[in-house]
Amino acid sequence: MRPIIGITSYVVPATWGVWHDLPTALIPNDYVAAVEQAGGRAVIIPPDGRDPDVLRVLDGLLLAGGPDVEPVRYGAEPEPLTETRADRDAGEFPLVRRALELDLPILGVCRGMQVLAVAAGGTLHQHLPDVLGHERHRPAPGIYGEHEARFEGGSMIAKLMGDDVGVHCYHHQGVADPGTLTVTGRAEDGLAEAVEDPDRRFVLGVQWHPEVVRDRRLFGALVEAAS
Amino acid sequence: MRRPLIGMTAYAQQVHYGNNDVMAGMLPMTYVRAVHATGGRAVLITPDDPDIDVLESLDGIVFSGGGDIDPANWGAERHPETDIDAARDASELMLMRAVLDLDLPVLGVCRGMQLMAVADGGSLHQHLPDLIGHERHQAAAGTDPLAADASAYGRHDVVIEPGSRAGDLLGGHLVVNSFHHQAVDDPGKFTAVGWCPDDRVVEVIEGPNHTFAMGVQWHPERTADLRVFAALVEAAAIRSGLAEAKVETGAESAA
Repeated sequence: MRPIIGITSYVVPATWGVWHDLPTALIPNDYVAAVEQAGGRAVIIPPDGRDPDVLRVLDGLLLAGGPDVEPVRYGAEPEPLTETRADRDAGEFPLVRRALELDLPILGVCRGMQVLAVAAGGTLHQHLPDVLGHERHRPAPGIYGEHEARFEGGSMIAKLMGDDVGVHCYHHQGVADPGTLTVTGRAEDGLAEAVEDPDRRFVLGVQWHPEVVRDRRLFGALVEAAS
Repeated sequence: MRRPLIGMTAYAQQVHYGNNDVMAGMLPMTYVRAVHATGGRAVLITPDDPDIDVLESLDGIVFSGGGDIDPANWGAERHPETDIDAARDASELMLMRAVLDLDLPVLGVCRGMQLMAVADGGSLHQHLPDLIGHERHQAAAGTDPLAADASAYGRHDVVIEPGSRAGDLLGGHLVVNSFHHQAVDDPGKFTAVGWCPDDRVVEVIEGPNHTFAMGVQWHPERTADLRVFAALVEAAAIRSGLAEAKVETGAESAA
């Protein structure tokens, strides 16, 4: 039996066929395909703030990309360009907290890394161009920024990535303070690109989008940790 | 007590949202909310990699609406109006047959009901307007049949066989919202227990020998009447030992 990997989902007004702007739980198929190609069984977890009991049947948790985290969750006021979804946060934070208690393997992608950092007591930059003075992490709508990351020697992410350190980014927020996590990768401008929790079996957050290339190094590591 | 975990089959569909146009695993939130509102916890089952291993973790399952089933599955030629989804067919027929073998509580909605029939030896009418000469199962009179607004769904009566499981649950008559152009012809090993009285189109099927196996041709998830979801969630809870069966006259009690 394959390990079951729960993928957190978006809820957006979606349009297809004859249907227009129907509120829909969805996840880009790249995530599902990346999990399945790595040997896992993907299920999609629509947000539901009642309880995190669904973790009972999951072997691993994949925190997908998505909207900005509510700044109140790290003690800040929302800035003008911050766009949040309270239902997504209300569903995801209890999942993450319980998953950390259970030491369930977790991979956080983009927003998912930011959720991990905030759950660990950290904080976010709300709009990177204001902090970094450039837009290379999200060059234009729908265009991924491509750059090379530098990883801490001896870290899990350094071992997984090896010599091929090119990454695809698309985000306007970033981790300012990783809380109790360790920053193990950075972009050339110093921004945190990877976080880990060395005290747990497998807790990894990456600021880039490994699912667009279905990166077996990362999804394989999640599935293996979940097996 | 934990909530019963209800798998819901998802679309794999090219979809547009915001500035994005992507292939996504997805399901309208009306389905998810119907399960959550009746005490279950929904997870979405993607069709991409057919296997039944996921069923071990579920307490019940909903087969959702969607595109047409390939008539090759019951040995018929494809009608010009039939628009199939082969990936979902392969995955969902495999899941459905396993679900029926395992006697996992199951609710089929629209396409999901049709899958129940086809999975167990039945067949479908491929294009109802050819058969019954009207489109009331797709849209209300005077509205655009392709309108996506739920209020434009075809509304019609359903009558239900007294003494059937659906009859006990829903009563002998109700008015429903439909959006389909195919329909169950032969329900296979299931029993047809509800019909549209105007044209005899099958509207409800059930499996009398299953813990809970019911299919409805309409879209209860887009209404306030969630009784069929509540019945699924209750059956799932009882089967998994999360709740005790209510003792009913003449019905056996399973603790």
